[in-house]
Amino acid sequence: MLLCIVSLLQVFGLSHLTIFDVSPDAISLFLAFIAVTIGQRAGTSFGFAAGVIAGLMSGNMGLSMLARTVEGFIAGFFNIPENSHATSKQKTKRMYSALLTASFLANAVFAAGYNPLGLSPLYRILVLGLLESLLTLILAFIAKRLLMRKTFSD
Amino acid sequence: MRKFFNVFSRHNTWLLFALYCAISIFFIKLQNDDTITRVRTGGIEFSAFITDKLLSYSYLLNLKQENDRLMQVNTDLLARVINLDAAVTDERNSRKITADSTLNASSFIMARVVSRRFSDRENMLLIDAGWKKGIRKDMTVLTPQGLVGRVTTVSENYARVMPVIHTDFKVCVVSDKSGSIGVLSWSGGREFVAQMEHVPISSSLKVNEEIVTSDFSTFSARGIPVGRVVRITPDKLFYTVDVRLAVDFSSLNQVLVAPLIIEPEKAVMTSNNTTEEPLP
Repeated sequence: MLLCIVSLLQVFGLSHLTIFDVSPDAISLFLAFIAVTIGQRAGTSFGFAAGVIAGLMSGNMGLSMLARTVEGFIAGFFNIPENSHATSKQKTKRMYSALLTASFLANAVFAAGYNPLGLSPLYRILVLGLLESLLTLILAFIAKRLLMRKTFSD
Repeated sequence: MRKFFNVFSRHNTWLLFALYCAISIFFIKLQNDDTITRVRTGGIEFSAFITDKLLSYSYLLNLKQENDRLMQVNTDLLARVINLDAAVTDERNSRKITADSTLNASSFIMARVVSRRFSDRENMLLIDAGWKKGIRKDMTVLTPQGLVGRVTTVSENYARVMPVIHTDFKVCVVSDKSGSIGVLSWSGGREFVAQMEHVPISSSLKVNEEIVTSDFSTFSARGIPVGRVVRITPDKLFYTVDVRLAVDFSSLNQVLVAPLIIEPEKAVMTSNNTTEEPLP
């Protein structure tokens, strides 16, 4: 249910906040959060589901499914086990790292499969990918302050 | 068998990932397949429906701006129509005319009626445009439907308008078909009917003719619709003509103020205080 809400928010809301043709990605944030807190398997499954929903709306189902699955899977490597004694700072750091890495790789998959603006692949992957990850990081920062304080507390 | 289950349980995440990737690649390969296309089309339809609904709500928020923009377009069109009507009337009567250069669409000023008093103590309109916006005394006030009145007092941001339905208001008018000239005035009573005076019995004025402002007016541009003849009652030397006014004064909201066209020389010539000058 939350995944549907986040996907709709991304498609009909955040996708309109573009800076240099990129916008922050709420789905990446959600997937990173799920993968880091619950686990890699959950992250991968949620990624696949998010890809299906986003793909249905955008018309690019297969590519969307692949990119989001990869994103959820990669973010899962930064999972914090339940019995971990990590501090709040370490948890936050892991979350941000997961988000940056997964978001960048998902963008690379998207760039490899679909180029609607006819831009250079290298420019799309490096420059736009980094920019999108940065914007998503800012979104994560705001979301952490407002919604995820308890989850990443000591 | 046990080994297989051990491998499976150790690497189930990798296997799940591989399965999802395989399904995704399968969908990419079958992009043009009918079923996939239909599913994709359905998704796009849903997405477009939601976007359309969201856009329609944001349209509601911009209605005021849209309204103002349309009023401006209306202003331009009205000015053109008035110009064309005046030229057609003159041509039909075989009179030599000159284009009404005073009716310049860009010099019309839009204003909103902020107050209306219609009682035995006061009868006037108040508009939200004053000398700051270029309003001057005696400017003609009108709407796309017709003549509203005349500016009588101007302050910085507001102006008082004497409406057509005021006992002191008079304007020279002419009928579009027969060319009968008269003076329009309002003597009280129903606020949608005024009287046209000084129409001689010999005039060929008929019911349903449209009445517009004439060139004889000292303040108003010619060709502005005033109303339509609804009744003609003959008297000894003149007709008593009832004119149903074109403007609905009870529902006035936005008005236009036309630029001033008072010609001092004309005003002097038509007044009684002229001294005859010897011919050169």
